[in-house]
Amino acid sequence: MEKMTSPYKWGMVIDLDRCTGCGACVVACQAENNVGLCDKKEIAEGRDMHWLRIERFWVGEYPDVRVRFLPVLCQHCHDAPCEPVCPVYASYHNPDGLNGQVYNRCVGTRYCGNNCPYAVRVFNFYPHDWPKPLDNQLSPDITVRSRGVMEKCTFCVQRIRRAKEEAKGEGRMVRDGEVQPACAQTCPAEAIVFGNMADPQSRVARLSRSPRRFRLLEHLGTHPSVYYLKGGGREHV
Amino acid sequence: MKRRTFLQLSGMTAAGTVLSGCQSGNEKLIPYLVPPDEGVTPGKADYYASSCRFCPAGCGILVRVSEGRAKKIEGNPAHPVNRGKLCAMGQAVLQELYHPDRVPQPLKRSGPRGSGAFTRISWEESLELLAGQLRALQREKATDRLALVTPQLNGTLVELTTRFMRVFGSPHHLSFDLLGPDWLRTATRRSFGQPGLPWYDVAETRYLLSFGADFVEHHLSPVQYGYAFGRMRQGRDTVRGHFTYVGGRMSLTGASADRWMPARPGSEGALALGMARLILAESLSDAGSLAVNGLQTEKLLRRLEAYDLPRVAEQTGLPQRIIAEVAREFATTRPALAMAGETVAFQSNGPDAVRAVQMLNLLVGNLNRPGGVYPDGGSRVGPENSFTELLSLVAAMRDGRFRVAMIHGDPVHAIPPATGFQEALARVPFIVSFSSLMDDTALQADLILPDHAALESWGDVIPLAGTRDRVIGLMQPVVTPLFDTRQFPDVLMAMADKLGGKTAAFPYQSYQEMLKGTMEKRVGRAARRDFETVWVELLRQGGLFETRQGQEKGYRRAPGSSLPNPAEPRFAGDEKRFPLHLLVYPSIAFYDGRGAPLPWLQQLPDPMTTVVWDSWVEINPRTAAEMGIGFGDLVEVTSPQGAMRLPAVIYPGIRPDMVAIPLGQGHRGMGRYARGRGSNPLVLLALITDGTETRPAWHATRVRLTRISEKGELVTAGHPQGSYRSELIEI
Ligand code: SF4
Ligand code: SF4
Repeated sequence: MEKMTSPYKWGMVIDLDRCTGCGACVVACQAENNVGLCDKKEIAEGRDMHWLRIERFWVGEYPDVRVRFLPVLCQHCHDAPCEPVCPVYASYHNPDGLNGQVYNRCVGTRYCGNNCPYAVRVFNFYPHDWPKPLDNQLSPDITVRSRGVMEKCTFCVQRIRRAKEEAKGEGRMVRDGEVQPACAQTCPAEAIVFGNMADPQSRVARLSRSPRRFRLLEHLGTHPSVYYLKGGGREHV
Repeated sequence: MKRRTFLQLSGMTAAGTVLSGCQSGNEKLIPYLVPPDEGVTPGKADYYASSCRFCPAGCGILVRVSEGRAKKIEGNPAHPVNRGKLCAMGQAVLQELYHPDRVPQPLKRSGPRGSGAFTRISWEESLELLAGQLRALQREKATDRLALVTPQLNGTLVELTTRFMRVFGSPHHLSFDLLGPDWLRTATRRSFGQPGLPWYDVAETRYLLSFGADFVEHHLSPVQYGYAFGRMRQGRDTVRGHFTYVGGRMSLTGASADRWMPARPGSEGALALGMARLILAESLSDAGSLAVNGLQTEKLLRRLEAYDLPRVAEQTGLPQRIIAEVAREFATTRPALAMAGETVAFQSNGPDAVRAVQMLNLLVGNLNRPGGVYPDGGSRVGPENSFTELLSLVAAMRDGRFRVAMIHGDPVHAIPPATGFQEALARVPFIVSFSSLMDDTALQADLILPDHAALESWGDVIPLAGTRDRVIGLMQPVVTPLFDTRQFPDVLMAMADKLGGKTAAFPYQSYQEMLKGTMEKRVGRAARRDFETVWVELLRQGGLFETRQGQEKGYRRAPGSSLPNPAEPRFAGDEKRFPLHLLVYPSIAFYDGRGAPLPWLQQLPDPMTTVVWDSWVEINPRTAAEMGIGFGDLVEVTSPQGAMRLPAVIYPGIRPDMVAIPLGQGHRGMGRYARGRGSNPLVLLALITDGTETRPAWHATRVRLTRISEKGELVTAGHPQGSYRSELIEI
């Protein structure tokens, strides 16, 4: 892993025992980040633009069948396979541990998407327009991406920036829980927790040490910043 | 003029002035965090508190407004129901405001009914048109020939509609919601003598037993219960609450359960009583609770004799061992909580089945206890059986009893056609719709008086069964209305004005004023003295949130209430011709259909099937294989009531003798995103009667399937059969 260059290391914990699969986070993300509206045809072609998806697993057969949900978003890997393959450095690592994406630098080779084992980078195959007056909903904080660029979850970097600026103005660090991405903010079950992993006392850091934790495709050595907590634990009937 | 002042006048703060013709005063918006006198800072967003009225849960919202435009809806952290959280629908309400197909001004029909041909007219003209119709009724002393159809309303709007109809002289106001919990009100009154709805302390319980109560999706207050569920699971230091789900289809809620009991449809009440019998027989019940409620074990046992384990096992199709195990777990884990939901209630024996589940709570002594069930703090009043009222309204309509029907909402889509509503409505000579989108009802209307979008409206929202406290959420317009629309209550008031003579009944200039007046009455004497300040504060924080827990009279068995005794379930359609049970369920995105016009919701992959932009029928893999049906094949579903074609989804979490279809699609209108998409399963539903009461058999209709072709055009966002790489998540 790279050397610490910032007092922040943003990370996330998703408690699968709490997640009910309700999809509130998916819409929250789309609303916050001006993610394009994809019609049926586009999704049929596999060109859905969601930055956050809920994987659904069926296990077993009737009547002993179970379902589990797995919210998947950019894992913000410390050793991100998408970064070194970008010829124009549009996919880069920022000092806070975020895997950033410079939209106006991206030339659309899609190498990064091919190299991402989590399939969380989405390419703008089509121009997405918002029929008037629907365009009024577009957030002024985030660029509206055009056709031909790769885009992805940024942990709502615009919110992180705002919180950091405010904290800096007041001469302090960002407080634990002060900044939340849209998905974590809305999740009814409080399954998603976001915060500074570099602060061992933060909620996210404490949860990431849970015996229930695991990370996706850990054997690949990507070192994701997203930890999952599997079900069970504690006293149980 | 300074730029800032200009913005202030033209943008957000001017919302009050341009609201509608009958409003006055330069009402300022009250932001949530920034003090109001700071005004607009270009480029900086403000948050305004309001309430979500998309479903009756009534969550508190904060709307992010930037330069006069609403940008995002978030949960209001101060609101006791949802504490800053919000469901997918609540977020998407933004797209109702900016929907490209909104009705921009009043419309008058200019072609045959249902053709969609309308011409634009002015508000003056349109109000005069309606007033003319109503005046004619007054002249002919036929005022009871006016019908008003709305969803189940609450707060000041009830006061207004009631007063309007009374003053006008018509008793025919039907407030019908397909998903309204009237059945739960009735059952609760019969069990515990209280008219309100129950509030379940899911967060603190250790054993949750849900009989078809889909609290994550739509049951009562989904955000509140989703939140509580998270707490029940991993919110406490040493306890992880256990969850058992009973129901023939594994719903989204059921998917989170530790144990799934796919009981045969209609047998849930018998299952509850079988468990009750076992709990009593093994002396696992709470003696104190039985004594307080005047019940004796021996007597109860004698009454429950019929519900012995072998018989219940046969009725439900579940193994005896499992029934006994769950009954014991439920009785020996304290606190334990049982909930009854829609899939149980809409059986032929639903009312008694719901009461049987409620009795389980009494047996284990969790009435009025942490982790148990309490009376809720809000909606004490509400319709108890609006379905019966619906049927009598339909009968009257069919007889040509009505001359004018004023309709809010989209009943043409959301009422099962088996009731005859759609045909009866066609016999009403003059139909007025208040829809802001050209929905299925508006398409049939002669006059459309488009309502404001929720984010342009004033209002109060009393949350449904979401808390034990008294909560009154307020709605304030957060943006200047986009189109030439008017709020429904303001139109009613304008109508009262026009009809004259009786205006004394409405001593207010506008609905906003009336709302302010009701709030003033609600806040208590001390606060009333300086009400202006209080009002601003209420708007700022999003409503009146009072803590008065425990002041309600707790639950206790209603004296003389009989023991529930659910009859053998009956189904519409005979078993030979219609071998499969049909379950029609509200999807997480569309509720009763009102979510369908919003593209974010159409595009949200259904959590259980990952289907987007469509509707479908769920079939057990074994049944599908037997019938040669593959994933995505086009299938015809036929019930005694109707037929429709749908793509098939192979669904491992459903009984082999059952199929399920989500509600909410199949609109003829409702704008470009909903129109002509999927099918409305309500056309399949038949009516059943239990001898005393007729009800929609939306969980008691039988169907058969016929495979049509391979071309279902089903689009899923995930792998069609679901990902099987579950080793990824270690389950
Ligand atoms: S909002 Fe929360 S509970 Fe709902 S799907 Fe997302 S993570 Fe799961
Ligand atoms: S639960 Fe109902 S009231 Fe709450 S946000 Fe969702 S739609 Fe709105």
